[in-house]
Amino acid sequence: MIMQRLPFLSALAVGTALSVLMAAGTPAMAKTPADTLVEGFAIDDIISMDPAESFELTAGEVIGNIYSQLVRLDLSDTSKVVGDLAASWTVSDDGLTYTFKLKPGLTFASGNPITAEDFAWSFERMVKLDKSPAFLLNQFGLTGDNVTEKVKALDPSTLTMTVDQPYAPSFVLNVMAASPISAIDKKLVLPHVKAIPVDATNKYDNDFGNGWLKTNFAGSGPFKLREWRANEAVVLERNDRFYGDKAKLLRVVYRHMKESAGQRLALEAGDIDVARNLEPGDLAAVARKEGLNVTSAAKGTVYYISFNQKNPNLAKPEVREALKYLINYDAIGATLIKGIGEIHQTFLPKGQLGALDVNPYKLDVAKAKELLAKAGLTDGFSVTMDVRNTQPVTGIAEAFQQTASQAGIKISILPGDGKQTLTKYRARNHDIYIGQWGSDYWDPNSNAETFTANPNNADDATFKTLAWRNAWDVPDLTAKTKAALLEKDGAKRAAIYQELQQAVLDSSPFALIFQQTEVAGLRGNVNGFKLGPTFDTNFVAPVSKN
Amino acid sequence: MTDVPAAPRSTRAWLLSDRPQSRAQARLGRAYISWLRFASNPLALVGLAILLVLVLVAAFANILAPHSPTAGDLAGAQLLPPLSPGYLLGTDDQGRDILSRLIHGSRLTLTVVLLVAVITAPVGLLVGTVAGYAGGWVDGVLMRITDIFLAFPKLVLALALVAALGPGIENAVIAIAVTSWPPYARMARAETMAVRHSDYIAAVRLMGASPVRVVLRHVMPMCLSSLIVRVTLDMAGIILIAAGLGFLGLGAQPPSPEWGAMIASGRRFILDQWWVATMPGMAILIVSLGFNLVGDGLRDSLDPREAGQ
Repeated sequence: MIMQRLPFLSALAVGTALSVLMAAGTPAMAKTPADTLVEGFAIDDIISMDPAESFELTAGEVIGNIYSQLVRLDLSDTSKVVGDLAASWTVSDDGLTYTFKLKPGLTFASGNPITAEDFAWSFERMVKLDKSPAFLLNQFGLTGDNVTEKVKALDPSTLTMTVDQPYAPSFVLNVMAASPISAIDKKLVLPHVKAIPVDATNKYDNDFGNGWLKTNFAGSGPFKLREWRANEAVVLERNDRFYGDKAKLLRVVYRHMKESAGQRLALEAGDIDVARNLEPGDLAAVARKEGLNVTSAAKGTVYYISFNQKNPNLAKPEVREALKYLINYDAIGATLIKGIGEIHQTFLPKGQLGALDVNPYKLDVAKAKELLAKAGLTDGFSVTMDVRNTQPVTGIAEAFQQTASQAGIKISILPGDGKQTLTKYRARNHDIYIGQWGSDYWDPNSNAETFTANPNNADDATFKTLAWRNAWDVPDLTAKTKAALLEKDGAKRAAIYQELQQAVLDSSPFALIFQQTEVAGLRGNVNGFKLGPTFDTNFVAPVSKN
Repeated sequence: MTDVPAAPRSTRAWLLSDRPQSRAQARLGRAYISWLRFASNPLALVGLAILLVLVLVAAFANILAPHSPTAGDLAGAQLLPPLSPGYLLGTDDQGRDILSRLIHGSRLTLTVVLLVAVITAPVGLLVGTVAGYAGGWVDGVLMRITDIFLAFPKLVLALALVAALGPGIENAVIAIAVTSWPPYARMARAETMAVRHSDYIAAVRLMGASPVRVVLRHVMPMCLSSLIVRVTLDMAGIILIAAGLGFLGLGAQPPSPEWGAMIASGRRFILDQWWVATMPGMAILIVSLGFNLVGDGLRDSLDPREAGQ
């Protein structure tokens, strides 16, 4: 037999190194180039770069930087919108027809002119592809059958859109500012459109370029997408044909870094310029360190734990309420999310119209047990929980697992990457899910609609809100949400949203936990980096480096 | 009358007798000699002590652990440093006592190691001896299968298997077992090739023993000692792979106190709260070291060639 010294030595080496090495996980790198912004960012939730398909936070941020919309939020006063590609717009007297006039002389990054026709096609493909963001337009009554009639290019610079009900114009315009409704370069994409057979699931004979746009770019924003390598990096390059203020830097690289500690080390070493996923401990350390800065912005993002109503135990109202009493809000707020969020138990983020700022739930095991007994589950039950393996959700999930076990509820955590857990969640195959919801547009309807509207609870529904994903069938709340949308009186509208929030607090399968404060650690030489209220307003164009 | 040996004066003398009276005495004598050789190696004894402590800790985890391994005090005891009152090795990000988690985690470690050993060693031995003894196309087929498994790095293959089977400690065991048997088969085959043409095998066959009997009764025992040594030495590697899988989130699932998973969750705090990842790292180091020391000692005491027999 051969002498076996090797395993012994390697065991020694690996044993000691395991804890140290794997923590860092960052190869030594030179300082970042002066014309490039390198951001350390967990980008594993990106599943597509097609604006009509992608609806994830990280992809939303990238798309916000590489595509442009008709209008966008006025960042100095987020209750208003300003024209982006549209120079002006008018609403007909009956409140149904919107006419947008495009700015003259606009071009895509490819050099093709931006015309109303491109927009009409972008609207059409978004509706007909029927991916997650399609509901943005569906809610105006646009469907695959009528979109070509309702959205039309009158001439190369005039676009009209007819909606089915007289919505509050601010609502319609706020939606138009959302990143999925972007101008897509029709001329560039057309050669890449693939024919697909028409069958029960495909109503149309082509994919509208979706297959190609998943990883390619046909936009007009201040940056161009150079490449996206899944779980590795997103590389943006300046679009020199951009019509507005040109980006100050030539390149922006989003480097996939999952770990907060890794981001902090890389930031301290100068390997990255911006660290985007700092956890409380590391954030405090970065803030203390000379030459590094911290910036933060309250986000329209709320974190929640939701309970799938397809699970017979979770469907019991007493169980839903009991679970809300089994979350240790105070401890989580003081430790796991310190600095990156604030306990917030209603679904509208602070700062939106009608947001209710009350936190009635506290950890109360005795009360939870009482409620479980009422539901006939004195001995508790077992249930699974899908958790994306990033912080703080993993930590919160584990804390919840512990406190729930005190009432006899055995939660087994199923960790997965963002794509895995999201896909499962969207298919309604989960029991308990912990996730976040970022407002798609700066209007209370965005959150109200997803948390309280579920017009069709069938598995094959097209309107897939969070309420749908958790199979929460609530016709009356759905109607109320709809009514709020048509209410033009601001105060009355706010009152309806407050009622909805109370209903979600009392009886929904959603345990809202906290509202996110987004933070970023910056190198001292990074100027102009500002986080916006939504993810698609985290613009990198104004950023410069000394 | 004078030829009859005197009754043994002590157990030691009985064991060391060079004229054993029975098979049992001969075997025990051999075992005792091996033990003496093992015990003459102080490092091996240290390793044995480590493993004994591990077994005891695992057996009495419920009594030894001062706190619950899964329930912590998030608000009151998050990330306390070692030697804090009540928490000898500190607490982790969920306010759980690290010592208690290490103690309970020893059960998982032992389970993984034992299960893997119990699954892989017999499989490897069987495949190797059959291939070596049968030769010809049987040997060809079995060894090519072995080659296929050897062609992949162990950890990569284990990762692929766990990814396919789904995360969990049982699947981790299966994955490690599937990837660990080929070296044993190789080794057993080599040993078998060395003895298959020996006179004693020829003699047994002449007496009409079937191939099954020859392999089971006369070939396998010859491979056992080197197999035991190899398995013991590999246990450290198994622990590391299990920890690696746990670290990557594919082994034990939260909140189970698997050491690799503990390092994984502790690495977030490595810069400011070093103990969260270091303590389980030390545990893995010490236990791997124990297995390696014992393996080294066993090799010295069991290997017939080194013993000069």
